Formats: sequence, C-alpha cells, structure tokens
Amino acid sequence: MAQYYDIDDILAEDELVPAVFQEAANGVGLFDSSDDANKVEQGSKVELPFWLARELHLRQAAAINVPPCYNKKTRDEIEADAAHVDLRNRCPHFYELGHKIAPLVGDRTIGSFLLFAFQTRYKEVLIKAHTAAMAVAAKFLTLLTKEETKLYEAAQSSMAAFKKWRMGGPRFQKAAVLGRKRKPID
Amino acid sequence: MYGKKACELVKELSSSEPGQLAAFNSNLFAQVIEECNFHFLQLQSLLSKVQGEGMENQTARNADHFGALIHHLSLVRDKRCLMAYVYNRAEVIRSFGWTIEPPLPEEIQEKLSSSEKEYSKNHSATIKSYRSEVDLDLAVDMVPPKDPYIKVRVLDDIGTVALSDQIANLARHAILFLRRTDAETYISQGLMEELTG
Repeated sequence: MAQYYDIDDILAEDELVPAVFQEAANGVGLFDSSDDANKVEQGSKVELPFWLARELHLRQAAAINVPPCYNKKTRDEIEADAAHVDLRNRCPHFYELGHKIAPLVGDRTIGSFLLFAFQTRYKEVLIKAHTAAMAVAAKFLTLLTKEETKLYEAAQSSMAAFKKWRMGGPRFQKAAVLGRKRKPID
Repeated sequence: MYGKKACELVKELSSSEPGQLAAFNSNLFAQVIEECNFHFLQLQSLLSKVQGEGMENQTARNADHFGALIHHLSLVRDKRCLMAYVYNRAEVIRSFGWTIEPPLPEEIQEKLSSSEKEYSKNHSATIKSYRSEVDLDLAVDMVPPKDPYIKVRVLDDIGTVALSDQIANLARHAILFLRRTDAETYISQGLMEELTG
C-alpha cells in the first residue's frame, strides 16, 4: 500500500470510475440528486470516485467498469503516436489509476498497455526535457500526466546540474598540498 | 458527491510550491469536519436500524448495510484527507525549524493555524535543546567549505583581536586570511566582506 499521507496517491484515488450498483443502498442520496428517495437502487449506473468504488467492488456491492481513458480509442491513439496523446485531459493520474484498477476489473491487457504507453512516452519526455527550450516545452507539458511532469522536471534539473558540472567549477577538488607545482631546479 | 471537499483540501496542498506554505484553510477544514459529523450521524442511525431488525438480518447484506458501509468509507476517506493535510503542512513547518531562526517571520506566522504555531514553537525548542545536548551547531551549511581559510577585507576599524589561531590587527581595509569560522561572525555583522576570485 502506498503511503497513507501521500498527496498524489490520495488524488489518484479521487478519479471517477464508472460503476454499477449490484445491491441497493439506503440513506445515501447524493449520487443522484434528481430524486429525493435518499436511496440508491440496484443496477443504477453511477460514476464513483475510485476510493469508494474499490471497497464496494471488493464487497460485491458494485461492479467497476473500465474507465474511458483505457478504452479502445485511447489504445489506438497511443499505438499510433503515444507521445502526442493528451493524457492529462483524460486522466491526470493515468498510470496510478490504471495500476490500481487493473487487478480489480480482471483485464489483463491494461498492464501491458500501460507499460507500452509509458515506455514510448518516457523516451519523448527525456528528449524534450534535455533539448527543448522553455517556450516550446510549455505546449508539450500540457499533455503530460502528473507523474510524467515530475519526470520531466527531474530530467531538466539533472541536465542543468550536468551542464553546471561540465562548464564551470573545478570537477575535482585536489588537496591544496598536492596541487603545488614542484619548483624547477636551477 | 461525498468526499469532494476533503479532496479539494488535498488538491490545495498539491498545487502549492514544494517547501512553501499556503494559508491554513480553516474554512474548508471546518466544512470537511462538518461533513464527517453528518456521515457519522447517518452511520449511527443506519446501524441502529440494522441492529433493531434483529440478528439474522445483520449478516444478511441488506440495503441498510451498504448504506452504512458507504458512510463509513466516506468517513475513512475524509479522515485520510484531513490527516494528510495536517501531516504535510507539519512536515513543512518542521523543515522551517532547521532553516529559519526561531521566531518565524510575520508573513509565515499568519499562515499558520494556532495549533501549528504551537507546534512550530515547540519543535524549534526541541531542536535547540538537542543542539545544546550534542554541543554542535547543526544549522550550519551542509556543504563543506573548500578551504578552512578565506580571504576577507576588513570594512571597519576593529582593532587587535585574538582569533582562534592568531592575533590579528583588524585595521580598516586590511586584507587577510582568516579562519572561516572566525570570519563568519564578522561577515554576518557587516564588519568584513569576503573576497572571491
């Protein structure tokens, strides 16, 4: 289990996933505000945040469906050109949610799909982080998920550190005694 | 939707700069706690309803049971968000204890809630007592200096002073090599400046 206080983990679990109630539940009214029966009927389709959907799914009270960001259309787009698919718009926690949801829905292809998407995009993220100027990068950054943005920033800071190391400052601090040149013997 | 407000609280954390504090959102915080109370009341009424229907129904998973479950899960979720909010702020406050000298500046003070102020005060007191116990100044620069000696220019007539390794005449405009540790106090007082290059 991820760390209890981890902000990103909490936010990832807040993503909405489509679910179908297998059982009725009393005393909960907020899912469908149009009727005031204060009750969720069996078989009603709702979008639940993942933290709620998972527990209900494990207790067989609701069944999770695969969220639209892992559907056929997205897969086709990823296969065509992974680096230019706007994943942030679809799901800012694309990988984390997929990772959590894969064992629940029993879809074995999600795992390899995520891996494929990540690998191809990872390459692009690194290249962009190392070469692109900030003006160009701004547009590219809006396509990235939370995790990829972090990777991008990490790559940039490591590149900056590398440049600093190469251009300026002594690479190697010799002890002052060793640096002294021997006096030529006349 | 349940748990929305709690999530907003956490989102606020994630959108703020790392290592920085935003003002404590006591308004939203109180709203989430209110929501917790609402869930708790609902949970209680549903549970008493379940119990009232007898033992045989308690194991049978009826609608009341799942209603109660949803309220319970929402409670747990709200708790997690609240805890994460407080915990992550506390982490930033702890880091202040190491980087900023004890009385926190006004602009940071006003962003803290009253219990956070208390926490920060106690934490820096703990650091202070620990520091005096190990007899080390733990707040100094983590990067070791390249040379124990630095070249400084004296900006004011200080006079002849006994330093840790020599007795130096610190006359105005004198340029000399001093031990870094000796020079640091003078530099911070503005009586010397470091010469580089």
